Amino acid sequence: MKKIVLMTTALLMVVGFSNAVMASPEEDRQIFLNFYKERFPNVPQDDYINGVYAIDPVGRENWEAIEEFPPYETAIDAGKSMWDTAFANGKTYSDCFPDGPAIMSKYPHWNKEKGSVITLPLALNACREANGEKPLKYNKGAIANIVSYIAYESRDQVTNVVIPKDDPRALEAYEMGKKFYFTKRGQLNFSCANCHLQNVGMVLRTEILGPAVGQTTHWPVYRSKWGEMGTLHRRFKGCNEQVRAKAFKPHGEEYRNLEYFLTYQSNNLPLNGPGARK
Amino acid sequence: MRKTKYLGILVLAFILVGGIGCATASSDKMSSMKTEMTADDATAAIAAADAARKKAGSVSGEWRDTGKIIGEAEEAAKAGDFAKAVKLANKAKVQGERGYEQMVSQEKLRLPSYFK
Ligand code: HEC
Repeated sequence: MKKIVLMTTALLMVVGFSNAVMASPEEDRQIFLNFYKERFPNVPQDDYINGVYAIDPVGRENWEAIEEFPPYETAIDAGKSMWDTAFANGKTYSDCFPDGPAIMSKYPHWNKEKGSVITLPLALNACREANGEKPLKYNKGAIANIVSYIAYESRDQVTNVVIPKDDPRALEAYEMGKKFYFTKRGQLNFSCANCHLQNVGMVLRTEILGPAVGQTTHWPVYRSKWGEMGTLHRRFKGCNEQVRAKAFKPHGEEYRNLEYFLTYQSNNLPLNGPGARK
Repeated sequence: MRKTKYLGILVLAFILVGGIGCATASSDKMSSMKTEMTADDATAAIAAADAARKKAGSVSGEWRDTGKIIGEAEEAAKAGDFAKAVKLANKAKVQGERGYEQMVSQEKLRLPSYFK
């Protein structure tokens, strides 16, 4: 009997303890930063916005050459004319986004009324639909153009994901994104963390695995492999599919929460979109 | 040291015996299995595969190619190659089951030791 009581107390203590050590988002971010700092002691923190090129000097040379004639320039121009062109009802994007177009750092954010994470492409489509326009497809094309323009106008803002304390569901969404990040998926049984944390810097086929910090600062991206612009959720899809997991719906709950978690890890880093990648 | 060695041998022996046991069991099953697959067999196998795929999907564990393999099974059945259809459907079913187990086994988030 005494033994049982003792054991129960011990168990309770362990449970209590692990609750207490459940890391806060800010602690998570520090863990990420420290992890990479240990692996790559010579990489300055702000250089993580350059993705894998922060740790790959050879790839960086090619990339810098590409950036001299940015392949995303036409997307910015096309996006600007979208922003400036009125909808059929005479309204424009500015009517939905009075602070725009430099609004990148406001996304993703928690929306208490909707009880969900709102990403920039979601907000843009909500604006279109409210004005009687068809929503844009999420992975590429026109959505990548308008987000490119917004990203460009927002350059030098900093990532600033907030997890409001007045709604516990916001932290839950973050935790769900975190769980997604560490869950092994697909026939190859890999988690995001297996590649971008545990094996960061290693070569996978022809690519070096880049760090998670800084992965969200520069979207959309002109990717040579795509031969066109693509959005962050298109990349999520590609990374899910390469481990032979079925991808999720762009801007559905899974990827929204993932974006919330992942973007948080880049807090305080400058926004430098749109970008170019291999 | 000596003890672990014997233990190892014992474990090995068990696996061997067990393995043989399994092999005989399955070969018995094989010989009693009919060799001609019918349209009904294909339909049933495809339905089972699709159920397994959906079950995996219900826990966000569907794999990339499972739906495609089921599609191929349907094509084969349509073309009258029921044996091929059943084989493909069974492959898809196993994928669905693995994807489901994969997610259920990770129901609770356990952070890896390198994340600290
Ligand atoms: C099998 C390994 C692998 C897995 C698993 C994986 N990725 Fe990737 N990912 C890559 C490679 C390779 C690249 C290209 C090189 C780079 O930028 O890291 C990449 C690139 C990215 C990029 C673009 C980075 C940039 O600078 O533009 C993002 C974002 C990303 N991955 C997110 C994820 C997320 C989220 C997951 C989990 C759903 C994930 N990845 C899972 C291998 C992987």
